[in-house]
Amino acid sequence: MTRRIFVTLALGVSMLCVTAPISAQDTATPAPIDAKTKAEGLKNWAKVHEVFSHPRCASCHVADGRPMWMGNGDMKPIKHPMFVGGDPDNQTGQPGALCTSCHGPKSSQTEGGPPGADVWLLAPKEMVWFGRSSAQICAQIKDPERNGNRTLADISTHIREDELVHSGWKPSKGRDPAPYSIAQTAGFFTAWMNTGAPCPTESSSE
Amino acid sequence: MVDLVVNGQKKTVTEATDDTPLLWVLRDELGLTGTKFGCGIAMCGACTVHIDGQAVRSCSYPVGEVDGEITTIEGLGNPQALHAVQKAWIDNQVAQCGYCQSGQIMTAAALLAEVPDPTDMQIDQAMSGNLCRCGTYPRIRAAVHSAAKLMAEG
Repeated sequence: MTRRIFVTLALGVSMLCVTAPISAQDTATPAPIDAKTKAEGLKNWAKVHEVFSHPRCASCHVADGRPMWMGNGDMKPIKHPMFVGGDPDNQTGQPGALCTSCHGPKSSQTEGGPPGADVWLLAPKEMVWFGRSSAQICAQIKDPERNGNRTLADISTHIREDELVHSGWKPSKGRDPAPYSIAQTAGFFTAWMNTGAPCPTESSSE
Repeated sequence: MVDLVVNGQKKTVTEATDDTPLLWVLRDELGLTGTKFGCGIAMCGACTVHIDGQAVRSCSYPVGEVDGEITTIEGLGNPQALHAVQKAWIDNQVAQCGYCQSGQIMTAAALLAEVPDPTDMQIDQAMSGNLCRCGTYPRIRAAVHSAAKLMAEG
């Protein structure tokens, strides 16, 4: 029988509480970047996208309030069973059955057990990543309306410091962690940001 | 050594490490065997208890992480003073084999504490993480409605 595996949410969740203004650097018309710099930026974005689109991150960035279950290897993603969610505006679960009823403060170390962290909830619906292309996610990350009103520097800090984000690298037993490391991912993100934050086109990201 | 408050009583547990699942502390250390082991991975709900009123799966909750008062089925009510959910469960004769029912009751109680008069949909959403191999789901839903009425009547 195929073992169905819980998925881990990661990025973007504590963004709700952050109302940092967008910096001039982010809002100003970006200076043209040369082809070499852009290529370097896209290379770093590709690594960032590897992380953001990984099941440990993307499966809880959904539009309909229902997280995905997607395990290791070639397991086909399915909606989280147990009648979980269904309200796009509800990030924390239903009365009597909150996300934290099963997802405790630490990831389970029993095979197939639930991942966990100090907080556990869905990303806001504006931050849907699951099923989106690299180009779409890239555009979202740069859009304050869809990134929790954050600057790119804020997001880099968010990657480095947010415990729920970090749960993607500390999954429960039997699940692959998100690729690279927290520090490497933040480094890729910052390097991408510092090369003008170029986004791939739809054709190039497919 | 772990200090806990369980069913209103302070308890000190000496035989458990911080990562011991709360379930085993309740059952093996404190003798509170009303809470059951089902799957061990938070998928069935048999081990449901409350921490500060919230339903949690004790099989997957490290005891060292507990920060709040624990209530088990034994502390929800007793034969002399049943909780409304327990009374409704008996009135509706919900249990078949009964193994999952303490977890069912704890989830139902957590739901009703927050939603005093839940709809069928709200009941289904709250209770769907608690599995019953006997298939008592229609009686579970009826009993939650009964408990809501009992609680409204005071």
